[in-house]
This record gives sequence, structure tokens and C-alpha cells, in this order.
Amino acid sequence: MTRQRVEPSVIAVERGPSRRRSRGPLAAVATIVLLLTLLPLARPLIGQPYNYVLQIGMVGLMWIALASSWNIIGGFAGYISLGHNVFYGIGGYASGLLLLYFDWSPLLTWPIAGLLAVICGFLVGLVTLRTRGPAFIISTVALLLMVALLFDNWEFVGASNGLSLPLPPFSIETVKIPFYYAMLLIAVGSVYLSYRVAHSKFGLALRAIAQDETKAEVGGIDTRKMKVTAFSISAFFVGAAGAVWGYSLTYLRPAIFFSIAIAAEMVLMAIIGGRGTVAGPVVGAILLVTLNEISVSQFGSTELNIVVTGVIMLVVLLFFPMGVVGTLRERGKLPSILDWD
Amino acid sequence: MSEVAQVMILGLLQGGVYALMASGLTLMFGVMRIVNLAHGVFIIAACYVAYFLFVGPGWDPFASLLVTIPLFFLLGMVIYRSLFPRIEGSQRFSEMTVLLTFGIALVVEGFLSYFFTGTFRSTNPPYTTDAILIGDLFIPTAQLYASMTSLILLLALWGFLFLTRTGYAVRATMQNRTAAQIVGVNVRRISTIAFAIGMALAGASGSLISFLYPFFPNSHWRWIAILLALIVLGGLGSLKGAVVGALMLAVAAAFVSDMFGATWAPITFFGALFLVLLIRPQGLFGREARV
Amino acid sequence: MALLELQEVTSGYAFGPDILQSVSLTVDEGRAYCIIGPNGAGKSTVLKTVAGLLRPREGQVLLDGTSIGGLRPDLVLAAGICYVPQDRSLFPDMTVKENLVMGGFLQPDRKVVSERIEQIFDMFPILRSRAGQHAGTMSGGEQQMLALGRALMTQPRMMMIDEPSLGLAPQVADQIFETIASLRQMGITLLLVEQNVLRGLEATQDAFLLDLGTLRLEAPSDRILDDPRIRELYLGRQLQRGTEAETREN
Ligand SMILES: Nc1ncnc2c1ncn2[C@@H]1O[C@H](COP(=O)(O)OP(=O)(O)OP(=O)(O)O)[C@@H](O)[C@H]1O
Ligand SMILES: [Mg+2]
Repeated sequence: MTRQRVEPSVIAVERGPSRRRSRGPLAAVATIVLLLTLLPLARPLIGQPYNYVLQIGMVGLMWIALASSWNIIGGFAGYISLGHNVFYGIGGYASGLLLLYFDWSPLLTWPIAGLLAVICGFLVGLVTLRTRGPAFIISTVALLLMVALLFDNWEFVGASNGLSLPLPPFSIETVKIPFYYAMLLIAVGSVYLSYRVAHSKFGLALRAIAQDETKAEVGGIDTRKMKVTAFSISAFFVGAAGAVWGYSLTYLRPAIFFSIAIAAEMVLMAIIGGRGTVAGPVVGAILLVTLNEISVSQFGSTELNIVVTGVIMLVVLLFFPMGVVGTLRERGKLPSILDWD
Repeated sequence: MSEVAQVMILGLLQGGVYALMASGLTLMFGVMRIVNLAHGVFIIAACYVAYFLFVGPGWDPFASLLVTIPLFFLLGMVIYRSLFPRIEGSQRFSEMTVLLTFGIALVVEGFLSYFFTGTFRSTNPPYTTDAILIGDLFIPTAQLYASMTSLILLLALWGFLFLTRTGYAVRATMQNRTAAQIVGVNVRRISTIAFAIGMALAGASGSLISFLYPFFPNSHWRWIAILLALIVLGGLGSLKGAVVGALMLAVAAAFVSDMFGATWAPITFFGALFLVLLIRPQGLFGREARV
Repeated sequence: MALLELQEVTSGYAFGPDILQSVSLTVDEGRAYCIIGPNGAGKSTVLKTVAGLLRPREGQVLLDGTSIGGLRPDLVLAAGICYVPQDRSLFPDMTVKENLVMGGFLQPDRKVVSERIEQIFDMFPILRSRAGQHAGTMSGGEQQMLALGRALMTQPRMMMIDEPSLGLAPQVADQIFETIASLRQMGITLLLVEQNVLRGLEATQDAFLLDLGTLRLEAPSDRILDDPRIRELYLGRQLQRGTEAETREN
């Protein structure tokens, strides 16, 4: 692990008061990843709800990947994208089509889906990142609705009925395992990416942009390049997650991928956990997935689920705008296991 | 030739209502720098008010304006006062408002779907099926009434802004908040009024579109996306831009719809938005990026 | 008796750090004061705090002995203190006349407002000839005159003017300072911030030297101008620069 030297020319970015880096978090995180890797082998221990546990695990890992990726542009650079699930859908459809036409399994082609998402992100970023602040957010909303409309009416991808994918060639007992591992890889990859960005000069530049873009520009940062780069790389694991998720559903439908509710969840997870921190989106994803599980089993209705999501969003924004990790850090109570910045 | 005229007229009629919806949204941004993602959901909520007044006591949707306008005005005052002062002064205020109103939109949408389910509804007063024929031009009566009402409401808004003392204060606050403060405008009060007016316009729009476009709780996203595209296009916070943009784009959308089918009409708005972002990021009537 | 008094005022922006640290100063009725100090010293912050745009975090702001700290800007204005900010803060899309009308916002009687506008036009003939022009399209000097004229619409007891000569050519700045001198003759108490130290001190009777948010020195303006020790200690390079600029201009 290299320790980044902070360039004095770059605008000073405030970070936590204590900058001691201990080996503690690394060991703990490695342990968690190891345990997650071993989880599918623990069938005898888990017993009956084995598939359910792997399914929840996969969902949790997916949201970790989505929220962490969103955080690169929305948290570090401060550019809130409410249309990031466009890349999720693009990834899902890309891998799905590769499966249908070439018989390539999305479990292997998700990196291709990710790359395609990066390319789309680059092109979209070139246009939308010409604006700042609210206009940027609006353009991402418009992008999402436009893409949703396109897929809803594009016969080649089945329009609003979507596409059915062939069932994965696994038995019912083992079918969850490959999906789980693919998502684990994607989640670990996205958190690692987020970590690397946070600890690079590039990440520092993004934070400078988030604090005061004009000053960052004057300070010699090529803000446009940084923003477009951040936007495109933040699309990679979103696209990848979409590919694996679509295959696990065995069907692709615009309503699943291009619903603004997906974007809402990504944003919300990052905010609840703490925007602009590495650990925040992970914490937020785990919290919200757990809460969703509970709320669905309690209310049984998705409508009230939306209400709960909205209320949490309001409460967090009004009372803890820095999220769990940010608030704990400010009070000096962040456990070292979560201090990844 | 007459077909072109026909499409133009239909476009303009729609544009009138779009302008009404967009003006509330742009007013909020102009005065307070609030991007109200919940504007669409409030319009839909007002649709439900009009709907239940229609199917219950049998009120005509135009009569429901008497309820929706004051009701949403009050709602606006309450919402503004209870939520926004808390985040005043945060460095990225506009972005905070996007997220905050996103949350509001989810809450309202969730409640609407819980109580009223996802079924399509609309009010259907008798004139929705009527039309006026001038030569071979076909003018749907409901559209005509709705646009005329929008026009009247927009004129009233204009009169308020340009002829009253409070209206002057609103415009002053839109142009320069600090300047307004130092000449003695109580900007908190003006902000509350402006937000409430924006909400009242949402309420009025709801009454009007309740018989023009079938609605269900989730349909507000479609509306808000179109409206946001409109106000970015016109220049965020510019009322003139919102109205001109709405009329122009509604006409363009009518042509797209005529040529490629109604499903593609919304693409006009988004396509135009991206085109404008490419050429003139500050919008048609906007000054350089205001954040 | 003191017109305006700041007692150990600490102040800053939104969620940011304290900018002013325990600043105390007294302004007597009818006198003219200048706040000097390097960039970022907090000069503008003092004015914004008095004007009610910022709420003092600690300490008192007293007008005629009653506290106005944390009062809304419109109430401070109604109490007789008006503020002309560094960026002039005009209404760019309104005409000169409309800007003046807005200056009379607190005066409910339209006739009185029109009379005052006439007085302002007499004082600044250039504004009369530009009455229908949009404020955003005027030159810097004209904008500053409009800002002063608009402030006068409130008939203030005290005016706080932030860097009136900022970005103006020397001759135009001269004109502005003539206007400021006439404000003094009208009996208006003045609190000036000026980065052109020489000009600022010449136009005023007393001066406050602010540095890093604290008050370093309070003395009659001419003493600061004359006393070589003070010049050396506090103003050194700054004043020299000011003088150099002055000589270059002439
Ligand atoms: N709107 C603001 N938000 C946050 N901090 C601010 C704001 N305005 C000024 N500051 C900070 O307050 C400090 C003092 O600023 P102030 O404008 O009072 O200085 P000044 O003495 O007027 O300087 P100048 O000669 O440049 O006008 C500076 O460090 C500045 O960065
Ligand atoms: Mg200043």
C-alpha cells in the first residue's frame, strides 16, 4: 500500500483529524472478505435457508458495488447523478444479448458489460458534465428517462416486455453459488477501486472539485478531464453488476433496470453511509438492504417501502447530512475498522 | 399545409399547460435556488384531488381549481417553513434541495400508490370528447379550455410579479438575493410566498391535466423529467425562458408525435435538452451558470 | 453617544470557522471611519455582520445602545443602517429607475419614493440620463453611483460602503470620493472599507486596522498617515504600494 504524498499545490482538503494509518482495518477487511468467500461452503451450517442466504448476500454485495461506484462521482467529486442506473441497464442488456446471440455466459462477460458502460459513461459525461450543480443533476434525470423510453420502445430488445434469457446451466441447489461469487468479485473490486481513487492524486483532485470547482480550476486542475474520468470509471462496476443481476433474474425488462427508484437507492445508500468516504456506501448498502428485508416482511407492500425510503432520506439529509461514517468521524467515534480513508 | 397548422395548434395548446407547470418550478429555482423534484408528484396529487371532487360531489375539474390552488398554496407554506430553513446556508444548497425534494417525492408517491393503487385514472367531464372545427382545423375543446385557463393564470402571475410591491420583491430576490436583503426585503417571507405560489401553480396544473392526461402515482417522474428539461432549456430560474421553452418544445413534440408516434414525443424534450447543453449550457435565457 | 457599538463580536459564515474574533469598536454619530487591513482580514465580514447578513456568534452589536445583533437585514435597514456591498449588488435586469424604486422598498408612500428619486437624480445627473437603462449594462462607475443612490433612498443615518473605488479608474474613483465627502456633509455617519489605504484614510477621520479577524489598531486617520512608526509596523508595504500606485496613476 503506497502512502500518497499530498501535493501542496493542490488545494488543501480537510480530512479526519487523526491520520494514523494502522494495519487494523486492512486485517479486519481481509477477514470479512475471507469469511464472505467461505460462506457458500458453509451449507451444512446454514441448512435450509441456504439459497435465501446466498440470494440476500448477492443482493447486498450488488448494492455495495452500486453505491460505492456512485460515490466516486457523487461523493468524491460532488456531482450527484440520479441516472446512474442507465449503466446498470446497459450492462444487463449487453451481457444478456451476448448470451442470446453468442451463448456467452454473463458470469464471464460482465467485464465486457462494464467496459461498454464505461464507454457510454464517457460519451454521456462529455455532454452532461458541461454543466454543474442542479443542471447536471437534471440532465442525468433526463438521460435516465430518455434511455428508459428508448428501451421501452426498442423492438430489438423486446421493448417493454423485455427479453427472456435461457436458464443458467446449474442445478437448483447450486445455482446461487456462481452468482454469489461473481457479485462478491464485483463488490470487492468496486470497493477497492473506490479505495484506490480516494488515496490517489486523482481522488484529491476530485475532492478539490467537490469543495470549490472554480478554485480547483485556478489551482491548475484539469477539472473537465477529472470529472469525465470519474464519471466513466464509476460506470464500470455498475454495468458489471447489471450484467450479473440480469442473468440471475433470467429476464431483462426496462422497468427493472431503468426505474428511478434504483438511482434513489444508490444515492440514499451513499448518503446514509457517508458521501465521499470509502466505507460509507458499504455501510449504507448493508443498512438499507437489511432494512428493506425487514420492511418488506413487515408491511409486505412495496408502496410503503417507498415511503420508508423517502422518510429515511429526509431524516438523514436534515439531521445527519454527513451520514453514519461522516458523523462518527466528526465526533471522533469512528471505529478503526471503518476508517478506510 | 393545413396539417402543419393543425399540428402547430395542438402543440401550442399543450404548450400552454406545460408552461403553467414549468413556471412554478422555475419560480422556485429563481427565487430560492430550489430544484423541486417533487413538483411532478404534487401535480399528480392535485390530479387526485380534482379526481375525487369529480367522482364524489361531481365538481367540474375547473371548479376544483378553487380547492387545489389554495390547498397547495398552504401546503407550500407549511413544507417550505418546516423543511428548508434547516438546510439554509449549507454550501451546496441547490443540490441539497434536489435530494430533499427527491425524498419528498418518494414519500408522496408511496402514499399515493398505497391509497389509490397504480391504476390509470382521469376525470372525464363532457367536453373532453368535444372539439371545435374552424375550417378543417380541429381544436379539442378540453385542450382549448385548459390552455386558456393556463394563460389566465400566467397573466395573473405576471401581474403579480410586475405590478405589486410583493411581486417586485420576488423579482428582486430572483435577480440578486443579497441586493434584495440590503434594500429591506424580508427574503425569508418572500421565499415562503414564492414557494407557496409555485405549489399553487402545481395544484392548478393538476386540476387541468386531470382530464387531459390519464395519471397514476408513478407517472410524476415522466412529468418532472419533461418539466426539468424545459426549465434547463429556458435557463434555470427564467420565467420567460420557461414559457417560451414550453411553447416551442410542445410544438416540436407535436411534430415528432405526428411523424413518429406519440410514444416518441418526450424524446423531443430530452433530445433538445442535450442539444442545448452541448451548445449553450446556461440555457436559452439563462445567464452564465448560476449555482 | 455612540451610534454603533460592537462588543467582542465573533462572527463567521454558515458552518465555517470564526472569521471575526472578538472585535470591539465604536462609531460615533456624524463621524467618518475607515476599516483597513489586508485581503481576507475580515473587513467585509464586519459590515455584513452589522448589516444583519451574518449573525454574530458571540458578542453584541448595539445601535443607540439597543442590540441589533442577529436582527434580519430589513430590520437593521429600517433602524437606519444601510450597506453598500463590495460587489455593489444591483438588480441587473431592472432599470436604473427600478433599482431606485427598490431602494425605497421600505417606504410605503409612492409619492415620497418619487420625490426621493428626483433628489437622487439631482445629485447624480448621470443616473437621470440613464434612467431607463438596465443596471447590468452600465459601467463600473455608474453602477457604483447607482449603488450609492439606491442606498440613499432609504435616508440612512449611517452608511457602510465596502470598497467603493474597487475596479474603478482613478478619475472615476475621485468622483466617487467626492460623493462620499458630500455624504458626510449631509450628516450621514460613514463606515468605509477601502483597499486603497491612502484614499480611505484621507476621506475619513478615524480608522480601524483589522488583521486576521482581530482589531489591531484604532487611531485617527491622519495620525496613521503621518506616524512613520505605525506606517512601518502595520501598513509598511501596503501603504507604500498604495502610494506607488497613486504616483503611477498621477
Ligand atoms: N461567503 C463566504 N463564505 C465563507 N467564507 C467567506 C465568505 N466570504 C468571505 N469568507 C472568508 O472570510 C474571510 C474574510 O473575508 P472578508 O471578505 O471579510 O475579507 P476582506 O477583509 O473584506 O478582504 P478583501 O479585501 O479581499 O475584500 C476570508 O478568509 C474569506 O475566505
Ligand atoms: Mg472585502
